Amino acid sequence: MVKKLLVSQAPHLHGKENTRRIMLDVLIALIPAVLVSVYFMGLSALSVFAVSIATCVAVEYLIQRYLINGPSTISDMSALLTAVLLALNLPPTSPWWMVMIGAVVAIGIAKMTFGGLGNNLFNPALVGRVVLLISFPVLMTDWTVPPSIFRVGADAISGATPLGIIKEGLAGGLTMEQLQGAHGFSYQYLLWGKIGGSMGEANAFALLLGFAYLLYRKVIRLHIPLTIFVTVALFTGILWLINPQQNADPLFHLLTGGILLGAIFMATDYVTSPMSTKGMIIFGVGIGVITVLIRVYGAYPEGISFAILIMNAMVPLLNMYCKPKRFGEVIKNG
Amino acid sequence: MAKESSLKNMLLCLFGVTLGVSALLGGVYILTYESIELAKKNEVNAAIAAVVPAFDNDPSVEIIEKVVDGKKVKIYPALHGGEPVGYAIEASTTQGFSGLIVLMIGFLPDGTIHNSAVVSHAETPGLGDKIEQKKANWSLQFNGKHPDNFKLSVRKDGGDVDAITASTITSRAFCDAVELAYKAFLTVTQQ
Amino acid sequence: MNKLQIITKGIIKENPVFVLLLGMCPVLGTSSSAINGLGMGVATMMVLIMSNAVVSIVAGAIPNQVRIPAYIVVIAGFTTVVQLMMQAYTPGLYATLGIFIPLIAVNCVLLARAEAYASKNSVLNSVFDGLGIGLGFTLALTALGAVRELLGSMSVFGYKFASGDGMLVFILAPGAFIALGYLIVIFNKLTKIKA
Repeated sequence: MVKKLLVSQAPHLHGKENTRRIMLDVLIALIPAVLVSVYFMGLSALSVFAVSIATCVAVEYLIQRYLINGPSTISDMSALLTAVLLALNLPPTSPWWMVMIGAVVAIGIAKMTFGGLGNNLFNPALVGRVVLLISFPVLMTDWTVPPSIFRVGADAISGATPLGIIKEGLAGGLTMEQLQGAHGFSYQYLLWGKIGGSMGEANAFALLLGFAYLLYRKVIRLHIPLTIFVTVALFTGILWLINPQQNADPLFHLLTGGILLGAIFMATDYVTSPMSTKGMIIFGVGIGVITVLIRVYGAYPEGISFAILIMNAMVPLLNMYCKPKRFGEVIKNG
Repeated sequence: MAKESSLKNMLLCLFGVTLGVSALLGGVYILTYESIELAKKNEVNAAIAAVVPAFDNDPSVEIIEKVVDGKKVKIYPALHGGEPVGYAIEASTTQGFSGLIVLMIGFLPDGTIHNSAVVSHAETPGLGDKIEQKKANWSLQFNGKHPDNFKLSVRKDGGDVDAITASTITSRAFCDAVELAYKAFLTVTQQ
Repeated sequence: MNKLQIITKGIIKENPVFVLLLGMCPVLGTSSSAINGLGMGVATMMVLIMSNAVVSIVAGAIPNQVRIPAYIVVIAGFTTVVQLMMQAYTPGLYATLGIFIPLIAVNCVLLARAEAYASKNSVLNSVFDGLGIGLGFTLALTALGAVRELLGSMSVFGYKFASGDGMLVFILAPGAFIALGYLIVIFNKLTKIKA
């Protein structure tokens, strides 16, 4: 083989400036969601963000400095992004020590153990969330909405997520119509309202705003989020058409839970998603199918975080089998 | 070092090895048979003794096996001086979070639940395993209640049972098995 | 190689869990608490010592092509012996480890030692090899069990350090993988310094 002009497959190595720029763009895209969560959930939401950011950055610095002995990687902002995403995946009532454990798991186990940014197999923020979900199921499913200083006179609301309410309700023999009537799940409410759930799930519109910004800045490509949305819509649509009384409709599924947050901000993570278009589509379809399977048939009301992690594990395989054809490659045997 | 293989020596060798090992197993089985039976019996008796008042008969011998709602139920009558003091009923359910849950429920002759014990389960540690009394005192809420005026289902389903936090499925399954045991109890006492 | 070296080799240089990575199924499955790990380790050690001894005696008489089935029969036989013994004399431990005990028969540590060591060495050396490897397995399982119990339920050997439930993930299967990974890292780091 002639070793001349060897150009490797995309993605080409980015300079430091670029990584930092991309991370900053994603952080900017998250600003609406962060503001909304602080508006709805008040100071406790703010403290979750603060603890998460402080711990993530500190853990990354310490490991980089004393275990890897490399130059500090704090300035590429990836630890900051992981911290914000992790916080958005937690309930606003999370105690500080739980947020800290989540941050240590996310950065320490899921990211730095594999060798830092670019080498991690799984999305760090999601690993943090899932480990916490399995470890502290009671705290992680306590969706009490704390009173917010921004909404004077509002009391703490003990709430369940719409998905949780539906799972319980349907198992208890109620129909969709009764449940939607009793809890006021209109689409306007789901799009604009204060949805019970983790901090990033509070408002669908804020997430869509971030989505638009990322697309405008060309930070992410449409393929992964779109295939996830389409797959979820198709799958739940079929179930809904078969039995509308026992299955929520597709729009309800798309607007509730973590699908928006997951599809837009987690599944599109550069490091843990496939490189080729074909790979991205398979990746998105897989996430969609697994999410719906867990939501409808599984024990948990929401499954997007598990779905993304499972498909994360497939990424090396997808990258291997979905290589784009090299320019000028000779097709063997016709 | 190992020998050359031929059909004859392979057959002979495997026959020899299996014969030797079977002989060993047979011997150990005979030696341990009585202890194993005793251990099993003690386990059952301990579970019975934990859920009904003091008795002086041998309930594991007077066992009544019944099929209620298509499920096998074992009923151990506990007698004291020939008078029934309670019934320990072993009932199971497959409605749990993971696999079979087997319970031993003790009823007084009037139908009041005296105590309950978990014989075996595979529920999630730290969550569903709170049905075990050594892990949490959740199941104590059944004690002293009579199923006629204590509805055996979780509050979410309109019953009187406080579910274990974040383990509604396990709590439902537990109620399910107690209900089954009570039905079995009625078939024995209403004859 | 003297007898002591054979034993320490099994614990450190050829530790079946941390170095050879053999028999991962029982390691991950039974190490949810220190006492379970210890019980499983000791049971495996018993089978290993007995099967090593018998294999090294009969190895010369076994034709090459049927040696694996013959070893497996011996191992499975001793596994059942240990199972019956535990059922009879330690019913409490048997109740928690019961379903894993028959799996000792398919633990590759046993077949690996029978094939790689016992069939080529003297009876006495094979017994010491079984003891060393068994001790290494037991120590690894107990250490893993202790770490998982400590993080998962805030106790070690049933002695509670703090109230509360701990991180449940460490009692469940995913935590077993995570804890084992980090223990292997620490073990390799420590043994490398020595060498």
